[in-house]
Amino acid sequence: MKTIEDKLKKGKTNLDQLEVPEELELKLRNALVKAKPRRHTGWQFKLAVACLALFMIGYNFDTFAYFGKKLVGYDNVMSGALKELNELGKGQLIGSSYTFKNGIVFTLDGIMIDESQLFAFYSLQDPTGQVDVQQINYHLQIEGSWGRYYMESGRGELNEAKNQITWVGSFKPPFFLEKKLHLKLTLIGDGKSKAEEGEITFAIDRKKAMGYTLKKGINETLTVEGTKVSLESILASPTRTVINGSMQNIFELAMDQIKEKRIRPKIVSIKLLANGKVVPEQGSQMGTDLKGITFRYFYDALPDQLNTVQIVVESLLADYDVKQQVALEENGQKQRLEILGQDIEVNKVYQSQGSTYVTITTEEATVLTRVYLVVDGKRIELKETITDEMQKLADGKILHTRTLQFPATGKSYQLDIQRMTSVKKYNKIIDIPVN
Amino acid sequence: MEGTVLIKKAKQGDKEALLQLVMEKKQEYYKLAYVYVGNKEDALDAMADMIVILYENIAKLKKDESFYTWSKTILVNCCKKIIKKSSQVISFETIEEVAVPGDFEQKNDQIVLEKHLLQLSDKHQEVIRLRYFLDLDYQAIADILKIPLGTVKSRMAYGLGRLKESFRGENDENH
Repeated sequence: MKTIEDKLKKGKTNLDQLEVPEELELKLRNALVKAKPRRHTGWQFKLAVACLALFMIGYNFDTFAYFGKKLVGYDNVMSGALKELNELGKGQLIGSSYTFKNGIVFTLDGIMIDESQLFAFYSLQDPTGQVDVQQINYHLQIEGSWGRYYMESGRGELNEAKNQITWVGSFKPPFFLEKKLHLKLTLIGDGKSKAEEGEITFAIDRKKAMGYTLKKGINETLTVEGTKVSLESILASPTRTVINGSMQNIFELAMDQIKEKRIRPKIVSIKLLANGKVVPEQGSQMGTDLKGITFRYFYDALPDQLNTVQIVVESLLADYDVKQQVALEENGQKQRLEILGQDIEVNKVYQSQGSTYVTITTEEATVLTRVYLVVDGKRIELKETITDEMQKLADGKILHTRTLQFPATGKSYQLDIQRMTSVKKYNKIIDIPVN
Repeated sequence: MEGTVLIKKAKQGDKEALLQLVMEKKQEYYKLAYVYVGNKEDALDAMADMIVILYENIAKLKKDESFYTWSKTILVNCCKKIIKKSSQVISFETIEEVAVPGDFEQKNDQIVLEKHLLQLSDKHQEVIRLRYFLDLDYQAIADILKIPLGTVKSRMAYGLGRLKESFRGENDENH
């Protein structure tokens, strides 16, 4: 008879398989938002507000892709371009500063607004030589009469003397009725100093703001291996082009979770062609919220002379549930497996010092995201992946060879693949009318 | 290192830092709550209750290094409150709902184990669950439950003894 301890240990195994629900973070955030603020002195309250601001960014944009044109260090690079744009009447020079108690000078040199974003060109400078500008911890947001605008992405550069850091920050475009905006920078206090808020107020010169060059609804829904990908709209403005879309609504997500048939899409590869030429991609965002999975793709601005615009949906990279067990050859010989249409080549199976090593080769994007080795009927977890080799073939394909280590040996081996990431090709072209 | 900075920030009222601290050990918290309440919804509720209490009281935490023990004690109390409120016992139905891969026999074993565990008093169940399901050592259990080490040991010995008797009783019946 099994001892009580054994029985209890089995109970533990069940608990070990428990996964922390994804909604945990959201739930905790919501709880914290509702939490009563603690007794606070002035600066603490400001800090809390600043934290909340950061919160809101995190809340709305689960995943960030930082991108930017080479606007960095506008001392060297941008000042020329900024001047140029300004001469073309496209930017608005501000040139206001705020000096913090510790001597840090916060300067807003200029802004640029179009339909899709607001750029703020700002810098932090330390004339005292006492502060490491790289280490300054701060929150930045723009406040207007109609709302708050948070920084979505940005790019900064440190000068050679390391006493000034210049930034180009991208914010959501201000509501069209906004006239005056307040750029607020809150330095977070450390042990020595208290939090301090600096503010630069400026009026928007709408004459210098730019609109859009192309704005169209797309409303195309594609089904890729059971996952619906909807392309919703495209917005091209002088600074960038944005494609908005969504993947699964919250209901579909829930159903997949219940049916355990979840395909969690990761990246759709979408190309934008203007006049038949590829428009360089700047970055992308993907987030999960109450609306489901939404994504945005950012590209460079479209050319002035626009004849055709096409969107090419190339492929979808997703994590698929597999739940397949494959017996491995006894003598550790080469073996080719086909899982979800992807080739997995087992090159070698060997044992050393109590562990079993399985060397496999797959296409670059194919990753066994949850894999076990069943040794004589016992499921062993992957300990680590030890070697890592990439090989580029003549046709451009990249093969990935690696060795998986499982800390057990035995007589019979089965590879138990629970989940796998792979790319499905799609190649669908959508024409966007230009006129 | 990172953790102590986060605790300092959290003490100043930084919600994001507090959230990060909890998320770093989310697995441990979630399992601990699950062991008590036995289902996902209540476990999440307990953690939400916990983070609010942490936020409101973290300034009073004297030793930064005991953050995790302190917060787990709070979590356990939140769980107990939830159980009390719904005067809900951990029924094996709710446990069955968890996607537990494995054969029928294994599930069955679990149901039987739950049944026997439930016959013990709460304080005896608690130490056994924490010890065996969460792999906590006696000292950790004593710290979280805020009871002396000796008490943990005696409750454990008593609980295991009763559990053994209970199993033996059933086997006899079956014969």
